[in-house]
Amino acid sequence: MTSMPLYRFSVHGLFVVVFLASFSQCIAEDWYRWRGPSGDGISRETDWKCDWTDGQAEIAWSRSVGTGFSSVVVKDGRAFTLGHVDGQDIVYCINVADGQTVWTFGYPAELDDRDFEGGPISTPTVDGDRLYVMGRAGELFCLQISDGTKLWGKNIADETEVRLPGWGFSAAPLVIGDTLLLNVGESGVAVDKHSGDLLWSSDDRECGYASPVLIPNSEPTAAVIASGKAYVGVDVQSGEQLWAERWLTSFNCNAADPIFHDGKMFLSSGYNRGSALFDISGETPDLIWKSKEMKNQIHTSILYQGHLYGIDGDMETGARLRCMDWSTGDIRWSVDDLRPGGLAMADGKLLLLTEPGDLIIAPATRDGWEPIARSKVLDGKTWTSPVLSGGRIFCRSIRGQLVCVDCRD
Amino acid sequence: MPIQRRTFLAGTAAAATLTSAPKIHAASKDKQYRTALIGAGWWGMNILREAMAGGQTKVVALCDVDSDRLEINAEEVSDLSGDTPRTYRDYRELFEKEDVDVAIIATPDHWHALNALAAIEAGAHVFIEKPTGHTIGESQAVLAASRAADRIVQVGLHRRIGPHHVSGMKFLKDGGAGDIGLVRMFVHSRGGAEKPTRNSEPPENLDWDMYCGPAPLRPYCRRIHPGGFRHFLDFANGTLGDWGVHWLDQMLWWSDQQSPTSVHSTGGRPIAGAAVLNDDEQTTDAPDHQTATYEFDSFTATWEHRKFAGQGPEQTSIGCYFFGTQGTFHIGWRDGWTFYPADSKKQVIHQDAELQEPDGHNLKLLYADFLRSIETGNRPAADITVGHQATTLALLGMLSMKLGRSVRWDAGAGQIIGDDEANGMLRRTYREPWTYPEIG
Repeated sequence: MTSMPLYRFSVHGLFVVVFLASFSQCIAEDWYRWRGPSGDGISRETDWKCDWTDGQAEIAWSRSVGTGFSSVVVKDGRAFTLGHVDGQDIVYCINVADGQTVWTFGYPAELDDRDFEGGPISTPTVDGDRLYVMGRAGELFCLQISDGTKLWGKNIADETEVRLPGWGFSAAPLVIGDTLLLNVGESGVAVDKHSGDLLWSSDDRECGYASPVLIPNSEPTAAVIASGKAYVGVDVQSGEQLWAERWLTSFNCNAADPIFHDGKMFLSSGYNRGSALFDISGETPDLIWKSKEMKNQIHTSILYQGHLYGIDGDMETGARLRCMDWSTGDIRWSVDDLRPGGLAMADGKLLLLTEPGDLIIAPATRDGWEPIARSKVLDGKTWTSPVLSGGRIFCRSIRGQLVCVDCRD
Repeated sequence: MPIQRRTFLAGTAAAATLTSAPKIHAASKDKQYRTALIGAGWWGMNILREAMAGGQTKVVALCDVDSDRLEINAEEVSDLSGDTPRTYRDYRELFEKEDVDVAIIATPDHWHALNALAAIEAGAHVFIEKPTGHTIGESQAVLAASRAADRIVQVGLHRRIGPHHVSGMKFLKDGGAGDIGLVRMFVHSRGGAEKPTRNSEPPENLDWDMYCGPAPLRPYCRRIHPGGFRHFLDFANGTLGDWGVHWLDQMLWWSDQQSPTSVHSTGGRPIAGAAVLNDDEQTTDAPDHQTATYEFDSFTATWEHRKFAGQGPEQTSIGCYFFGTQGTFHIGWRDGWTFYPADSKKQVIHQDAELQEPDGHNLKLLYADFLRSIETGNRPAADITVGHQATTLALLGMLSMKLGRSVRWDAGAGQIIGDDEANGMLRRTYREPWTYPEIG
C-alpha cells in the first residue's frame, strides 16, 4: 500500500466523501480534531443509541493511555490520544474495534504534577495522513498516522523564545490550509504544516489555554488566539494582530475556546471573569452583553439552537451545568450537584461525563435537564470531554483509563 | 436515577447589558458612605458586593498590588453599581488622595494592621477581615488606635450574626446543654504529601515587593498568589489563624469573653513533609495538623485541625462541640447546629443553617450591623475587642507551637507571664522601610 501514488488516495477519498454525504445524513463521522469536524463540539451522528440495559452501558474495551487530560481524535477506525508514562509523553494510535495499540510514539517529558495530576493536556489534530502533537513544554511533532513515523519535530517554545504558561501548553494545533496555527506566545505561532518551518511568531507573553479558532467567513482569513490577558484576532497569513479584546482572569487562565455564530463572538473564562457576547462585524469587537453567570474555567460551552450549554464554575470546588440564552445571556437552567467533568453533544443530546466517571445522556433543551440514560463508565477523576465517533463514545480519566462505550445501533 | 437538585433561573436578569440600568439599585436611605476596598481579591469582593447591595455604599477606590485584579474588579463594581472607583497599588496613596468614610480591609493577614491603622488615621471606619493582626502586638495597636480615634471597627466574624449561630448561642446560654466543661473546636479536611511548586518571576501585573510588605521578601511562587497565602506563615497563621479565629470566637461568645489562663499547642508537618524554601521552589510552611489547649477557670477548650484523613468517623468535619451535663451541642457551618442529648431516649434537636451563597457566609447581616453602628455609635456585633480576643487566642496557639511550651496569659496586661522569650514573639521584625506599629 505504500507503493501506491498519493494522488490516487486523494481522488478515491474525495469520491467516498461525496458519495456518502449525498446519500445519507447519518454516516459515521471522523472526530478528527478537537471540538470535532465542525469545531463546535457537536457530532452530526444520529445512528447511535443509549438504551442501556440495567443502567449499564456496553464497555467494548478499556485500556490505559497514561496520565493526562488529552482528549481523543478519531480517523479511519483509529483513535489517537496522549498520556504520560514513566518519563515520557506517549502518543497512542489505537484500533477502535478492539482497543489494541497500533503504534506509539514517545518523547521525553516531565510528568510535572505540581498543582495537578500532570501529563499532557492538549489534544492532537489529524490532517489527512498526518497527526500533529503538542506537548506541555512546547514539543511539537508531525507524525505519519499510518505508522507513527516522525516526519518532523521541534520545540516551538524554544525556537520562538517564548515563555511557557503556568500549566504548560494545552491548545490543540489548528490546520488552516498549509498552515499549522498554535497558541504559543502572546498571539500565536504559525508553522508550515508540511515542513514545520516557522512562518511567523508573536511576542514573549504568557499565552492562554484555549485552542485557536478560525473566524468564519473572515477576510482576510483570521483566527482568534487566547492569550493570558486577552482574546486576540490575528491575520492567519501574516500573524498581524487585528484586534485584542482584553479579558483578564485571576490566573491568566483563558481556557475556553471562543465561539462564533452569526457575526458574533462568545467568550467565557473562570477565575472571576464570566462571559460576554460581542458583535464582530465591525473593525473591533463590540460588546452586546456580559454576565458572571457562565464562567467556563476549562471547558468550552456548546452552542445549540440559540442556547449555550456549559460548565460554570471552579472544577475543584464545585461546578454547575448550565443553559444560557445566546442572545441575552439569561440563564435558562442550572443543575448544581452533577459534578460535571466533560461535555459533548450529538443528535440533539448532551453527553455529560461526570467527574467520578458517570456518562449521562440528556436532550439539549432550554426547558431543563432531563436525563434519559446514565451509566458508570470510569472510576475516578475525569475532566476530559467525551468523544462520540462511529457510534462509539470514548471516555478518559486523568489517571489514564480510556474506555470505549459501544453505542452503535 | 437519583433526583437532581435543580435551580431554574428562567427569566432572571443574569446578564448586565450596556443599556440597562445598574443591577444594584440603591435603597432609599439617606447616607451614602464613601467606601474603599483594600485587598480586592475573592473575599474582599464578597464583602464589597454585600456592601453595594445594602444600598448605602459609594465605591470610591479599590487598592491591590495586583493590577489585573484591580482592573477586573473595578469593572465589576462599575457593572454592578455604576460607580467608577479609582484604583491604587499603594494604600497610603489611596488615603492621601481619597476622602474615605469606610475602609474594607481584606488583604493577606500580614498587612491587616498597617492597612487598618492608616485607615483609622485617615478618619475612616473600618470593616476588617479576621484575624486583626498577624502578631498579637499588631492587633493590640489596631484596638488602641480605633478606641483613641473613636472609630467603629467591625471584624469579619460573620458567624457572630448568622441566624443559626444566634439561635444556637441562645440555646447554650439558656442552659440547653447544661453545665459545659469542655469545648472542642475543629476543622478537618483531606490531604497528603505536598510537592514543591517552582518559583518564578512575579507576574508583570503584580507588585511582589509590596505584596510582601513588612514580611520577608521571598521568591515569588504562584502557590502564594493568588489565593494561597494562608499556609505561608510569613503572611498568615495557617488554619488556626483562619478557621480557628471563627470557632474560637464562638467559644468566647458562649463564655462571655473570658480569657484563658494558659495555652499550649503542638503541631507539625508529618504528612505534608518538611517545608521547602529555596531559590528554585517552595512549599507552604503551615502545620498540616495542630492541637491547642486553652485552660479557663471553669472549663477547657481545645482546637484541632488536620489536613489529612478527612472527616473519618465523625458526623461533621468543622465547628465546635460544647460538652455539657445535658448532652453535646455541635455548631457547624453548612450543617447548622445540632444538640445530642446525653439521655439517648430524648430527641436530637437540630437547626438548619441560613447562609448566603455562593460562599456560605452571613456578610449581609454583618455589614448592615456595621453601618448601624456607625449611625448610632453603638458597638457592632463583632467589634474590634471581640475580634482582637479571638485573634489573640489563635496567635497564642501559634506562638506556643513555635515556642514548644505552654504560656500563661495575662489578658489585662496583654502579656505572657514570666517568659521573656515568649513575650518577644508578640511582635515581629518588619522588613525595611516598614515599622512595627506602636500601641496607643
